[in-house]
Amino acid sequence: MSVIELNHLTKHYGKSRGITDVNLAVEEGEIFGFIGPNGAGKSTTIRTLLGLIYPTSGSATVFGKSCTEHPKIRKELGYLPSEVFYYDNMRVIDLLKYSASFYKKDCTKRIRELAEVMDLDLKKRIDDLSFGNKKKVGIVQGLLHEPKLIILDEPTSGLDPLMQQKFFELIAEENRKGATVFFSSHILSEVQKMCSRVAFIKEGEIIKLEKMSTLQENSYKRISMEAAAAIRKADFNLTGVSNFEANGNAAKFIFKGNINTMMKALAAVELRNLSVEEPDLEEIFMHYYVKED
Amino acid sequence: MNMVLHELKSLRKSGMIWSGAMIALAALFLSLYPSMAGDTADFVSLLEGYPAAVRAMLGIHLDYISSLSGYYSMVFVYIVLCGAIQAMHLGASVLSKESRERTADFLLVKPVTRSNIVTAKLLAACTVIIATDMMFFAVTAILAGAVAANGYSMHLFILLNLPLLFIQLVFLAIGLAVSVFFSRLKNVLPITLGTVFGLYIIGALLGANAEEGAGRYLSPFQYFDSIYIIEHSGYELKYLLVSALLIAAAVAVSYRVYIKKDIHAV
Repeated sequence: MSVIELNHLTKHYGKSRGITDVNLAVEEGEIFGFIGPNGAGKSTTIRTLLGLIYPTSGSATVFGKSCTEHPKIRKELGYLPSEVFYYDNMRVIDLLKYSASFYKKDCTKRIRELAEVMDLDLKKRIDDLSFGNKKKVGIVQGLLHEPKLIILDEPTSGLDPLMQQKFFELIAEENRKGATVFFSSHILSEVQKMCSRVAFIKEGEIIKLEKMSTLQENSYKRISMEAAAAIRKADFNLTGVSNFEANGNAAKFIFKGNINTMMKALAAVELRNLSVEEPDLEEIFMHYYVKED
Repeated sequence: MNMVLHELKSLRKSGMIWSGAMIALAALFLSLYPSMAGDTADFVSLLEGYPAAVRAMLGIHLDYISSLSGYYSMVFVYIVLCGAIQAMHLGASVLSKESRERTADFLLVKPVTRSNIVTAKLLAACTVIIATDMMFFAVTAILAGAVAANGYSMHLFILLNLPLLFIQLVFLAIGLAVSVFFSRLKNVLPITLGTVFGLYIIGALLGANAEEGAGRYLSPFQYFDSIYIIEHSGYELKYLLVSALLIAAAVAVSYRVYIKKDIHAV
């Protein structure tokens, strides 16, 4: 049984698009990346999964159960929204205790530990906190009951790099202890660092689901070169070439395919310089998301 | 239970303010009673100058005005108005504030059902209303006992005051039912004041003309006629039933809609 299963999940808001026919399965113990630009349907997917909104058709289950039909299953679940809002007139510690009271176990020690790691002052009132500090409350709040599934929706916005680092360490530690992580983001470098598999969502549809290792190692190469004469695009009109940019004698592009084909094409050009690199996810991402002409 | 306590904590302050305001209003009116009772004849002749329709709209009944019960029932109209605003405001905000203050993402991903949430909030709101009324009643009963000349009946005073609770419960339920239809209710006050004053005026206009017409059903303010209560020491059963039905229907709608509702991102 997968920890998260989305089956033909569709959600429309009136006539406007939400998500269409999303299929995903996240296995126990993995860190799953969910990548897409703003408005692609990441939050809609997550909110359906959490039972905050109802699917138009299809199903979303957590540990085999739907959150709308079995809300109790949410006790195994920790959620960190992209923007955190809490009851302003409460103190941090009171909010965290209130949150803990839903899980029927003693979380006091865990709250202290997490607050220590995140450097969070428990005595302050929520409305006195800065955006970043509110986010920290969100992190502690999402993890204090040691959930088996952690759902993160653009978790690092508002955190400074040091805190982001600590946050990733915290998530990695939870993952080592057995928690499954569903990590939605539009910042690729952070997904790249953590995730084992990644799904790309675009305009409400999953366009690609790949292992991180496949994505990075196998096929994609970033090729930049300088030639003796001007480079014509026609010379590199091969399948698998994308994001071709020529600038006089220089050119760069991303290539996916048999590297030998590319080598032959390159051999035909009088080169001054050549570099073949692993593209980072950002570039692969752009490859998926560049608006079709 | 944790949700009920949390709600009570956040509602405590406004509940105290409301009961304080209602007590102050009642105290002001009651303190005028002794001087009015001493000069009933002048007072009645003054009020006789008003057209009968206006008197009826304002709830003034000349035959009863000299007794404390009659006088109190005249001023009680304004207290009920106050209480209705409190109750409707409470009902309309108790669920919708989670969306307004964007805390729905916190509460609604907790391992509780939506109906648990509605129940907890309803319970907390009812507790606040009942606590407000009990405080109000305790203080006004003492005040009324102090200013009453003779023939003051505690039993009747309780009967006259209870409709406050009934009408508040009706408005609490209406407020709740109205609020669940909005995906995000930005401001509760206009809708509250609009509904309460609207129904009050409808009641005053229709109630003044038709004693027993169907129009009376339109406004909860007309369900508990104080003259009937004074004369019969009891309530009109059909209006009591209508109130109960109204509450049950509004609460049922609230549960149904809220459970099936999409909670949108902020």
